[in-house]
Amino acid sequence: MLQILIQGFLLSGLYALIAMGFTLIFSVGRVLDLAYGAYLLIGGYTYFHFSQTLGFPAAAGLALAAVVGCAMGLAKFRLIVKPLGGGHVAVEISTLILAVVLQAGVVLVFGDSSKILLPIVPGVERLEGATVPYSNLLAAVASWIILLGLYCFVRFTHTGRAMQAVSMDARGAVISGIDSDRINAITWMISGALGALGGVFFASYTQLYPGMWVAPLIISVAVVIVGGIGSIIGTLVVAHIVGFMEITVSALIAPELRGVVTMLLIIGVLVLRPRGLFGREEI
Amino acid sequence: MAYLEIDGLSAFYGRAQALFGVSLEADQGDIIAVIGANGAGKSTLFDSVMGLTRTQGDVRLEGESLIGMGTSTIVRRGVGYAPERFNLFPYMTVRDNLLVGAYTAREDIQNNLEMVHALFPRLKEREGQETSTQSGGERQMVSLGRALMTSPRLLFVDEPTIGLAPRVCNEIAEALRRLRGEFGLTILIAEQNANFALSLSDRIYVLESGRVTAQGTHDELSDDETLAAAYFGH
Ligand SMILES: Nc1ncnc2c1ncn2[C@@H]1O[C@H](COP(=O)(O)OP(=O)(O)OP(=O)(O)O)[C@@H](O)[C@H]1O
Ligand SMILES: [Mg+2]
Repeated sequence: MLQILIQGFLLSGLYALIAMGFTLIFSVGRVLDLAYGAYLLIGGYTYFHFSQTLGFPAAAGLALAAVVGCAMGLAKFRLIVKPLGGGHVAVEISTLILAVVLQAGVVLVFGDSSKILLPIVPGVERLEGATVPYSNLLAAVASWIILLGLYCFVRFTHTGRAMQAVSMDARGAVISGIDSDRINAITWMISGALGALGGVFFASYTQLYPGMWVAPLIISVAVVIVGGIGSIIGTLVVAHIVGFMEITVSALIAPELRGVVTMLLIIGVLVLRPRGLFGREEI
Repeated sequence: MAYLEIDGLSAFYGRAQALFGVSLEADQGDIIAVIGANGAGKSTLFDSVMGLTRTQGDVRLEGESLIGMGTSTIVRRGVGYAPERFNLFPYMTVRDNLLVGAYTAREDIQNNLEMVHALFPRLKEREGQETSTQSGGERQMVSLGRALMTSPRLLFVDEPTIGLAPRVCNEIAEALRRLRGEFGLTILIAEQNANFALSLSDRIYVLESGRVTAQGTHDELSDDETLAAAYFGH
């Protein structure tokens, strides 16, 4: 029981981080970035390459992953989203293709087999029968800190407010003097960094393999669909619903089913509440 | 050279043309009314000056062409816009809506906030309210306030009194008068019915089906009986 509770909270924190990068793009840019999972893939492998293969310190590996994620985000916006104009379906299909291409690229460079990511911080904490790997604790704490930082950024800075403005009324933002291309580019960069960092932590939970972009994408889609167009708070809440559901199901029924419940949740909400549980348009 | 010169401006939505060579001039400190029926092209004219539509022709502010500048640059050059449907940020507070307006004018935030609060004390009282829960009159005030936060020298106001009670209309008229009087703004107001704009404006342009069909002072236009009947209600 305690194990489920602790694991649930730790995993949910990470899921919130992962989903946040995806919902940001959905609320500001109004498109589903189906290549979102590829940030996690590339972020994870970037960390693996620098920290594990080349022996850089863990912090440097994380920073590099974030930088690569940022660059990917910017490139995606400049090379795919912007040239395609407002075409949602075109963006969604292109991003999906991009994810598959990136997966193939990873196979080419790093091979097909999965890789074990050494714990970012080794060791475990035992607490009344529950075991908590420090790595998972780090992932959760780091996620919370990043999300708190993001929350403050969005609420209290001009650029953050401009992101909210674009998400709520793009035309209103433009006539307020906001360059929406610039704000979109910044949002894609933040999204990339969040995804890449999430990828390192995600891989430290499971392992690194070329198909690892799918599961986080489904989790992110679930959070957007269940939460409606994502507010930061809504994203947090729904990430906890998904995280706890997965932990409970894998502890009590079978670990193989954890992804399945998330998909059932997506379908259930789509059928019952097409606008999501918290559907309103804000960050 | 006039302060604002709109010179043979045409505007297009896809293949449809909404403005046909509209020309208009305003001197600094003028209040200009643009009147016309539904669909005459008033909003299109204002949108076009803001760089929001595809256009031909020229718009010059103090001799400098605004065409092709991009809306955010035009706002930076001192053009403010309170559009027809407000385009407020519904889940932000009044204060945050105003602060978004300050995006390009961050040094002036304090002064501009004071100006907005002096013009519309209600906005100070309702600072923490989300605009999605506000009345039409309050939203109009937020919309004007947000435009003023951009530190405009030239202000476009699209149908500021539509659907509002007379008392609120007066409050808004008073605010616009003070903006010209105390702050020297040049103001263009679009209205369907001239009565509101009349009491304020120095000159009137009548727009019909995307063309300027008459212009002049109120007295000049009142002499034309068809115009008077159509727009001045007498
Ligand atoms: N987004 C658009 N796409 C296509 N046509 C448009 C669009 N916006 C306006 N139009 C057309 O352009 C013409 C002028 O419209 P506009 O909104 O500028 O008129 P208006 O004078 O502001 O009217 P109202 O008093 O109803 O606000 C109309 O024929 C309208 O149908
Ligand atoms: Mg109009």
